[in-house]
Amino acid sequence: MTTPAISIRDVCMDYPSPEGVKHVLDGISYDVSDGHFVSIVGPSGVGKTTLLRLLTGLAQPTGGSIEVRGEKLSGSPKGLAVVLQDYTRSLMPWLTVEKNIALPLRSEKLSKSERKERIESSLAEVGLEGNQKSYPWQLSGGMQQRVSIARALAVRPSILVMDEPFASVDAQTRFDLEDLVLKVRDDFHITTIMVTHDIDEAVYLSDEVVVLYGKPAKVSEVVSIDLPFPRSQVETRNDHRFAALRTRIYEKVRGLEAPTQP
Amino acid sequence: MNARRLWRWLLAILVAGWLPVILITWWWKSSATSDNPFFPPLEMIWEQFKLNWVFTNVPIHLVPSLENLFTGFAIAVVVGIGLGALIGTSAGAARYVEPIVDFFRSIPPVALVPVFILLLGLDSGMRIASISFAAAFPILISTIEGVRQTNAVLLDTATVFRLSPARLLWQVRLPNAMPVVFGGLQVGLQIAFIVTVASEYLGSGFGLGAFTLTATDTFNILDAWTGVLLLGLLGYVLSLVFDLVERASLGWYYGQKKLA
Repeated sequence: MTTPAISIRDVCMDYPSPEGVKHVLDGISYDVSDGHFVSIVGPSGVGKTTLLRLLTGLAQPTGGSIEVRGEKLSGSPKGLAVVLQDYTRSLMPWLTVEKNIALPLRSEKLSKSERKERIESSLAEVGLEGNQKSYPWQLSGGMQQRVSIARALAVRPSILVMDEPFASVDAQTRFDLEDLVLKVRDDFHITTIMVTHDIDEAVYLSDEVVVLYGKPAKVSEVVSIDLPFPRSQVETRNDHRFAALRTRIYEKVRGLEAPTQP
Repeated sequence: MNARRLWRWLLAILVAGWLPVILITWWWKSSATSDNPFFPPLEMIWEQFKLNWVFTNVPIHLVPSLENLFTGFAIAVVVGIGLGALIGTSAGAARYVEPIVDFFRSIPPVALVPVFILLLGLDSGMRIASISFAAAFPILISTIEGVRQTNAVLLDTATVFRLSPARLLWQVRLPNAMPVVFGGLQVGLQIAFIVTVASEYLGSGFGLGAFTLTATDTFNILDAWTGVLLLGLLGYVLSLVFDLVERASLGWYYGQKKLA
């Protein structure tokens, strides 16, 4: 048994609030296997984004611990990159595409030519060659999100964390970006964790789907997605197992184990 | 294509220029036969203007004013943005500092000149100190505000990418604050200009303020008019240059706004 990429151990998160202490997460435990694609789903406001903030080191849990490759997390670890939902606010509007991608690279000791190479190969990976000199706001929403993904890839991350990455783009672009993320995961063997409210998307992309439920939230179920790779928007989504998995997760998210009649 | 651009330029000049042209013509004509000593004919003012400012008095009166203005404003920019960035970045600091800042900026800038004379005497050091002190406040306040309102998503992203605090300030917070900071810079420049002239009213033989005041005091009405005209012209050119610099520095901001 190898060390998991990320090990979440009994994590609790409480916030002080005017009505007293608010318990958001209650004893979350889960291991993310190396190279896996894991989606975290759950009803709105359940604490998905809170968990994601803990995983990225933006907040510290009030109980339990998170280990990345066996090392306890304190602050944002090296080798971790993020893609957030709100690309219009996570890309710097005063920087061109290439300078946006270069920004996190400055923390690493790279020669000028290495940096240039990283920027170019990352843009090529997401299919945005030739857009180096554009400003993000000159690009469409889908292209901006591709820039975010390129920026994340440029640091050569071993872990990629995404918060609702495709929630603000149209349906067609969304399919394209989903397939892009699968390709990226394959090309670079990146352990990927994604928070989403879209169950179909979670099933389509993931090796495992973690369902959070309750107040405070617990892991209500871990669903293994045994659909074959490579996945295809047409075939995978028409697979009868896809429908079964979706239904199962949907019921968990809605808390529909025993529907009550009025 | 080129003809159209030329036409648009001409149109822009016409739109901006018609009122000044009418006003100047009206002034020129209506004052032509004036024998009121306080309102001499514009033609005489113009002749005197050329005598004074092309370029006899430029090194004596214009250059010292501009030196004070630019030195004072430059100090105000450095101090205002520097302090503003520090205060705006630390969550607590703004609350402790704001009452003091509000107090000092509420004092009419010109009223501080006598205090600076008491403290620093009558040389150009006093003038520069008055200018930079008065001009620093709008810049300071806008920088605090601009730096403080950096959006959380941007900061989170930068944090996960492990930018050092210095780079976070220099490459995320400050550029993000620039549209707001430029508002403060504009007000600061106007104040710097006012204080430049006012500081020369007291104990100075040089500078546009001194020139205009001396001319008035000695009933040298023509000279006084040329001083006022030059000041007006100077203020206009300053704001024009400022707009150009702003447009050039904030290209991303205006480009983004145009698309939105």
